[in-house]
Amino acid sequence: MAKPKVAFYWNASCGGCEEAVIDLAEDLLKVADAVDIVLWPVALDFKKKDVENLKDNEIVASFINGAVRTEEQKEMAELLRAKSQLVFAFGSCAHEGCIPGLANFTNREGIFERVYKTTESTKNPEGIFPKVKTKVPEGELTLPEFFDTVYTLDQTVEVDYYIPGCAPPPDIIMNAFTALLEGNLPEKGSVLSPNIALCDECDRNESKPEKLEIPEFNRVHQIEIDPEKCFLAQGIICMGISTRSGCGQRCINVNMPCRGCFGPLDGVKDFGLRTMAGIASIFALENEENLSEEDLSKLMDKLVDPAGLFYMYSLPSSILRRKRMEEK
Amino acid sequence: MDNPTTNSAKITTFCCNWSVKPGLRLSNLSTDEEDKIIVTMCTGRVGPELVMQAFEYGAWGVLICACPLGECKHDANYKTLRRVLLLKRMLSQLNIEPERVRIEWIDTGEVAKLQNAVNGFYDAIEKLGPIK
Repeated sequence: MAKPKVAFYWNASCGGCEEAVIDLAEDLLKVADAVDIVLWPVALDFKKKDVENLKDNEIVASFINGAVRTEEQKEMAELLRAKSQLVFAFGSCAHEGCIPGLANFTNREGIFERVYKTTESTKNPEGIFPKVKTKVPEGELTLPEFFDTVYTLDQTVEVDYYIPGCAPPPDIIMNAFTALLEGNLPEKGSVLSPNIALCDECDRNESKPEKLEIPEFNRVHQIEIDPEKCFLAQGIICMGISTRSGCGQRCINVNMPCRGCFGPLDGVKDFGLRTMAGIASIFALENEENLSEEDLSKLMDKLVDPAGLFYMYSLPSSILRRKRMEEK
Repeated sequence: MDNPTTNSAKITTFCCNWSVKPGLRLSNLSTDEEDKIIVTMCTGRVGPELVMQAFEYGAWGVLICACPLGECKHDANYKTLRRVLLLKRMLSQLNIEPERVRIEWIDTGEVAKLQNAVNGFYDAIEKLGPIK
């Protein structure tokens, strides 16, 4: 019997998700034995036309990492969708937009202006910017269109499963591969990691006070962090309260608070707002009843860049999706 | 998108069942479904996601009428206030006017204050127009 065909593709991401596949180590050999890889640009020399030559649905599963921010990425996502029975959004960028999604605080013009003009190391007196079409003596050169907005994979094509994380850890990836090969995949639309909050499995959970109250926000560089104690109890915002578990506490173990790369639990519509609601509820001030709304408002200013913090990994998948660019 | 000059501001109002609903029943405010006055058991349940969903469904502004500070049996109106203050900051960062979300403190029986709060907010939002 022919081995099931699978494809890996890389859209707007850092490459960490490709590394994550390599991090399967010996298990990667088992996967490679069990499947026939038909596309994996970072590792194997297949081309777009090889995929185009396949029949529709001939690929059993495509694992697509990265957000979608160019015409080329959209085209590849659509091509792989047409040729695949199942599409997996692989990693936080494809799942929720992740760090590339922070570009939704600006737009193409803002990004081009910064990258090609105003960075301290750029010298571009002629104001040359990338163009979709450029005429040169030899003919016309083309570049894919760069979108104003970064999209998640499921805002571009239909997605069947989500493998969360920045990047997904090997056990989560291997569980997904095993479930695929053994035909044990859950209901379509599922996120393939446990539907419990990271807090619930955190080693520091026991040090969390029964009634959690943060009198002030500390940032990680402002205090010496106790490596045994709950971050929230130390006044450091940790998003483990609302973030899906399965990461193996990678950040917590190196004494950094959770920033939410595994995304929300099932049923949460807006991860950033849900997390903000939780953090706001434990921000308890002494004598709050004696504070005016203005006093309280000033204290809230001490939480630097709330939108950037709570939407660090999920701005494109939030209700607003992006900063409004129209004139007020 | 609706023309903001056509006197048709769409506002959603969330009211606390305990402090605001009695006044709401005595007021001349319509509680018809299309007028979008929603009574919740406590404004502590009016999370930022709910507020943003109202915008998603087309609201131009969201008003939250809560018990006066110190009078909520669950102290949840403090939580609501903190959430609203943070939400306003996040909205500013995303270039949405923070004035589109307002919290008002209304005690049981403060019928005129409730009516003025809703009407005043309606007028303010009508000036802002819809979110483009």
